[in-house]
Amino acid sequence: MNRWKKKKTETSKPFKRPTLAEDGFGGRAGYFFVRALTNIRQNIFVNVVTIGTITLALLIVSLFLLVFVNLENAAENWSERVQVTVYFDRDLTSEEQTMLRGRIRALPETSRVSYVSREEALKRFKSRLRGQETLLEGVRPEVLPTSFEISLKRANRDTQGVENFVVSLKRIPGITEVQYGEEWVKRFNSFLNFMRLLGALLGAFLVLAVVFIVSNTIKLTIYARRDELEVMSLVGATSFFIKAPFLLEGLIQGLVGAIIAITLLFGLYEGFLHNAGSFLTFNPVSSGLGFLPYEYVGGIILAGAILGFIGSLTSLKRFVDA
Amino acid sequence: MIQLHNVSLAYQRDASALRNINLKVGKGEFVFLTGPSGAGKTTLLRLLYGALTPTRGEVLIDGQNISRIAASQIPQLRRSIGVVFQDFKLLQSRTVFENVAVTLEVLGWGRGDIGKKTMHILKQMGIESKYNLITQRLSGGEQQRVALARALVNDPKILLADEPTGNLDDANKNQILNIFKEANVRGTTVVVATHDRRLIEHGHKRLITLNKGEIVEQVEKEENRDEQAF
Repeated sequence: MNRWKKKKTETSKPFKRPTLAEDGFGGRAGYFFVRALTNIRQNIFVNVVTIGTITLALLIVSLFLLVFVNLENAAENWSERVQVTVYFDRDLTSEEQTMLRGRIRALPETSRVSYVSREEALKRFKSRLRGQETLLEGVRPEVLPTSFEISLKRANRDTQGVENFVVSLKRIPGITEVQYGEEWVKRFNSFLNFMRLLGALLGAFLVLAVVFIVSNTIKLTIYARRDELEVMSLVGATSFFIKAPFLLEGLIQGLVGAIIAITLLFGLYEGFLHNAGSFLTFNPVSSGLGFLPYEYVGGIILAGAILGFIGSLTSLKRFVDA
Repeated sequence: MIQLHNVSLAYQRDASALRNINLKVGKGEFVFLTGPSGAGKTTLLRLLYGALTPTRGEVLIDGQNISRIAASQIPQLRRSIGVVFQDFKLLQSRTVFENVAVTLEVLGWGRGDIGKKTMHILKQMGIESKYNLITQRLSGGEQQRVALARALVNDPKILLADEPTGNLDDANKNQILNIFKEANVRGTTVVVATHDRRLIEHGHKRLITLNKGEIVEQVEKEENRDEQAF
């Protein structure tokens, strides 16, 4: 109680404050926002440079993300080919088919099961040997095996997942011969892992470069305006009052930069989608090339805002006390 | 209003910028600080507005010991002190009006009051017609008057000036000196650091001479002598 009283006399008596003063962001939000916008207008060149830097930096990152996301999607599609086949050297009765299909479906890794009869197997064989059908003259369906072709859920398409699935399959009575293109699965998965590692490394490097470039650009622009910080401090502005408009300015720069980057990326994407067919051997529209998902777009815009805000905050620490 | 007791300040261990300064400046006094370059005039002023803290001794402003003040209390201190410099320290990208209004914005004044008070002080300084100009376009004398308007707009108890006429011609020097005198008449304690003999002679005020960080001479001018109240 005493302490509080003492403090009050110290602050209010010798340095009486006008009654109008309101502290904190809530009381001054409008002022800070108007100040930030006026600052942008009055320092338009510096702001254009900063927003341009943020735009370019985020455009590079989001272009990388776009390529990465599409490659991942392509890889996901290729992984559909990871199939496990169970062979039988005899025809299965329909009861046996239903029973085995049920047992296989009951396994948690199973996504789709289809039965391939001897006739179906021969038909496929013939279509693969199109043009050389004569080789199959005299081949009767009975020489071919019947089989179940099983697709796996996405999470179980890696080497370990497939091997575990095969072990579970072999526990089902009546299943003895299982094949799954072991080498192909291994090679495909190591390619995928390599691609993801490369992507993560490149992505991390890019993000580091972007943070470095953007924070240094902001630092330079604040350095160019250090007189302003000094003047504000001289007329008795609190450190919060000095920093708030700069932080809002950084936030706006980041947001605007990110939105321009996303708009440019969308323009590039659309341009590529509709013109690439003429100079590439594949048609990008039919190949399922997609734009970044909404959550990625939101993430980039948020990252831009955070980048601008944190960049300003760390730069201000150098020039404003406390 | 201002009291310094045995104040010493060393930037580095050996070189003292100020040595054992004892000084009292009464309320409503007008004091010139003079001495050669490097005598410690600027350092002394910086101590008074809390930009530096003394290595030893106490600095009291209006009864408050600011040598042990918390960093968060410094803005409060500065709201009662106006400061002007040789290089004006104006916000170059802002207008004359905005440069002066900033003092009142910091205090949280409403827009209407800021407008009235700012235009009033600009009129006193004789630069009200230039209120919408960017300060870069003004002459040196006009820029210093903007800086003075910013320092005086909230009627500070103390006005500190560091070589305020260093960049000005004689006509402008007189005008600036008159503004200091007017502020002083209205009750503001004024401390001006300068080595401009002309300014000091025309000032007819108390004169404190510093050399190598020490007060070497204090002269009371006639008209001021009776007003001394420590």
